[in-house]
Amino acid sequence: MRLFQKTNFNFIKHRRIAYVVSLLLLVTGMISLFTKGLNYGIDFKGGSEVVIRFQKSVDVGSVRSVIDQAGVRGSVKQYGMERAVLLRTDYHGESADLKGLITRALAARIPGNAAEIVSIQAVGPSIAADMKWSAIKALGAALIGILLYVSVRFEIKFATAGVIAIFHDVLTVLGLFSILGGLFDFMPLEVDQSIIAAFLTIAGYSITDTVVVYDRIRERIRGQKPSEYERIFNESMNQTLSRTIITSGTIMISVLVLFIFAGPAIRGFAFAMFAGIVVGTYSSIFVAAPIVFDWQQRSKAAIKLRGA
Amino acid sequence: MKNNQFKLILIVVVALVSVWSIWPTYRDHELSTRLSSFRSSEDSLKFAIDHRTEIEQARDKSLKLGLDLRGGMHLVMEVDLFDLIEQKAWNKDARFQQIMASVRSSATNSGANPVELLATEFKKQNIPLSRYFYDIRNSDQEIIDKLNKEAQDSLVRAKEIIRNRIDQYGVAEPLIQTQGARRIIIELSGVTDETRVRKLLKGTAKLEFKLVREPEALLRAIESVNSMQAQAPSAPADSAKAPVTASRPSGRKLSEVIGVMKNGLVFTPEYARDYVASVLNREDVRARLPQDTELLLAAKPELTEKGEKYYPIYLVKKTPELTGGVITEAKATFGSQNVQPEVSMSMNDEGTSKWARITGANIGKQIAIVLDGAVYSAPVVQSRIPNGNSVINGISGLDEAKDLEIILKAGALPAPVRILEERTVGPSLGSDYIRAGLLSMIWGFAAVAIFMIIYYNKAGLVADSALVLNILVVISVLAGFKASLSLPGIAGIVLTMGMAVDANVLIYERIREELAEGKSLKSAVEAGYNRAFSSILDSHVTTLAAAFLLSQFGVGPIQGFAVTLMIGTGASLFTAIVVTRVIFDLLIGSGFMNEKSFG
Repeated sequence: MRLFQKTNFNFIKHRRIAYVVSLLLLVTGMISLFTKGLNYGIDFKGGSEVVIRFQKSVDVGSVRSVIDQAGVRGSVKQYGMERAVLLRTDYHGESADLKGLITRALAARIPGNAAEIVSIQAVGPSIAADMKWSAIKALGAALIGILLYVSVRFEIKFATAGVIAIFHDVLTVLGLFSILGGLFDFMPLEVDQSIIAAFLTIAGYSITDTVVVYDRIRERIRGQKPSEYERIFNESMNQTLSRTIITSGTIMISVLVLFIFAGPAIRGFAFAMFAGIVVGTYSSIFVAAPIVFDWQQRSKAAIKLRGA
Repeated sequence: MKNNQFKLILIVVVALVSVWSIWPTYRDHELSTRLSSFRSSEDSLKFAIDHRTEIEQARDKSLKLGLDLRGGMHLVMEVDLFDLIEQKAWNKDARFQQIMASVRSSATNSGANPVELLATEFKKQNIPLSRYFYDIRNSDQEIIDKLNKEAQDSLVRAKEIIRNRIDQYGVAEPLIQTQGARRIIIELSGVTDETRVRKLLKGTAKLEFKLVREPEALLRAIESVNSMQAQAPSAPADSAKAPVTASRPSGRKLSEVIGVMKNGLVFTPEYARDYVASVLNREDVRARLPQDTELLLAAKPELTEKGEKYYPIYLVKKTPELTGGVITEAKATFGSQNVQPEVSMSMNDEGTSKWARITGANIGKQIAIVLDGAVYSAPVVQSRIPNGNSVINGISGLDEAKDLEIILKAGALPAPVRILEERTVGPSLGSDYIRAGLLSMIWGFAAVAIFMIIYYNKAGLVADSALVLNILVVISVLAGFKASLSLPGIAGIVLTMGMAVDANVLIYERIREELAEGKSLKSAVEAGYNRAFSSILDSHVTTLAAAFLLSQFGVGPIQGFAVTLMIGTGASLFTAIVVTRVIFDLLIGSGFMNEKSFG
């Protein structure tokens, strides 16, 4: 089976449209980031999360009022699981007290529907600050590491464009999280440790697709005149289009399966991965290679090749 | 072909080792299914005894599930190094307290080293550290080094003591490790009574024997504190009219919540205990008391005839006569009337002789047994105790007595600890997660495998067999290195399935191109593998790098994801490139494959 027969898109000619689309995506995301901000999970904000499961289905509003009257300040939402609600409240040093308070209040006020606290997560503010800091360090280290590796394997123009594409991908997904954060009950899209895991995986993967295109350009450009570059770039991108999309496709299958089956704890991660792979595939064709091409046109020097 | 023979042997070895490593996991599962299938408990017990070694071996070598899957507690605790520093300081004056308070508050939101923070603050105020610490002749740097050493030691000691306590409480395979300069990570699986465990871990267990001052001194001290309260402007004028409620005693004067009985006993009702405790802890209140004394509350309330609960208050000498360090043995028992649980303790030689001297010199007086700042009991000394025995009573239940026994035996923590992070997953949610994880693995594999067959035909089948081997390798490495599988770890495996076939996609697309150019099957395969290699290597290295960084920064659950992703990506370099290549060589040689086999 083949999804793509011989294609002949003129990617380079229409690259400015792609630049505008990318800029729009990024700017919208950034505006949302600066005005609305991110919906941080307790990993980075500190606080307590309690998942309460009931025996029978329960009205979230009534649970909310019971918990409110018990004197626990916080938010109660539907959890992405049957008959379960999620209580989010400030950090309590003693989650045992919190647990007792909730259990007693629910048993007294919602009789005949046994409530069980199935999980408690409590993160103190000092640890949350530490985790945030180490997440930033890890992301920074990943970008520097990838820049170094790609600049060893390719020349600096390719490497820089590749890293720009990674920034593009991660920032777009971050913007998406800011825009969509808190809109859906079944996936709150909070930025927590698992989302950082997704970002790092996206950063690692974004370059994969880009490298496939780069490899082909490098293979074909050897000994060619600069006037031929536009044709070679276009042909290379068309020739690799099928594999770029199929490789993303297989991962997309995995990510979709995770989104559907792996439960609420993984859903945010799966969504971030999904968005990251879509944007990553787009950026390797429409951002990374065109930037190399534009840069090349401006510098006028022939491409110096490195590596195999 | 000789080369291929070597590769073939390698593949068979890898596959066998993987199966061998996963085998105990399978046996463990099978045996526990058998165990739970018996009708009567006698039958299952008999089976368990008959197959004991086999069951134990299988369990020991099987793949461990993470805390989120089997239920358990993950705790991050912090040793309060400020408390330790305060313990080490002498000659503490108001200036010192003020500096400590400011450093303490600035440190709440950072992981910075308290010793360094304190040193900077002292330097800023131009006070030499030697004014409060160690010897006056020590330089600042010497004192910083000493304090840092103390801090380091106390962390290790705290870890050992916590390990002792957990071991004696009895939790299977606890994981206890230090992180950074002041944190301890504890992972306990299958804990049913979290509240009890939490208390067990947090109790400092600072045991002290303190002389109780005479009742007249106590009354004078209470009066003195009350009179100071009367002058205090902080008490609102209308507070006296407010109804007595449990939740708001804080606006009241101390004299309203402290009563004196005819026999000289001073007490406070249950609802006011926290408030009274906080007032008694205040620095200005402490300063009003006679030299070297302090007011302490009882740990347990006493009941009046009407059933009201009240807590006695004691005035004791601040300097303890003896501390818990001399305790060698502790045992939870029932007391003389066989109803009240108590803990009896024995002391080492030094403690025994001291205890004999102290009890001998104070016959007829009360000695308070103080644990973590609360008076458990204050018996009147009847006679000299020569054998180093003592008893803690005033304990409400046998569980508490047993926990006290554990804590006393394991020793006191060098400084108080706080829980910074807690993640608890109940077993019912854990089994839901297991189901979700299994479903994702099955569907993930099925979807990717079927896609590859539809898209690449027979070649897809070859990629799928490499994928099976890849998953086997990941699970066997986890089992072999005794790493545990968590839900994020499963997510990593599912993601790896999608990524592992990528290498094959790159190779197959290249082969298709080479075939389209009219090359023979054999040389197309050859060219496909050679030319796709550089892209495959690049993509694997970048993914590995990202996963490695993630495993370095991540805690707990995220590390599980990073580790499986790393193993999976590494393994796919072998399975997708070497394994499929050998299979192709064999299949093409046998005529099973032709130009159409790549779809």
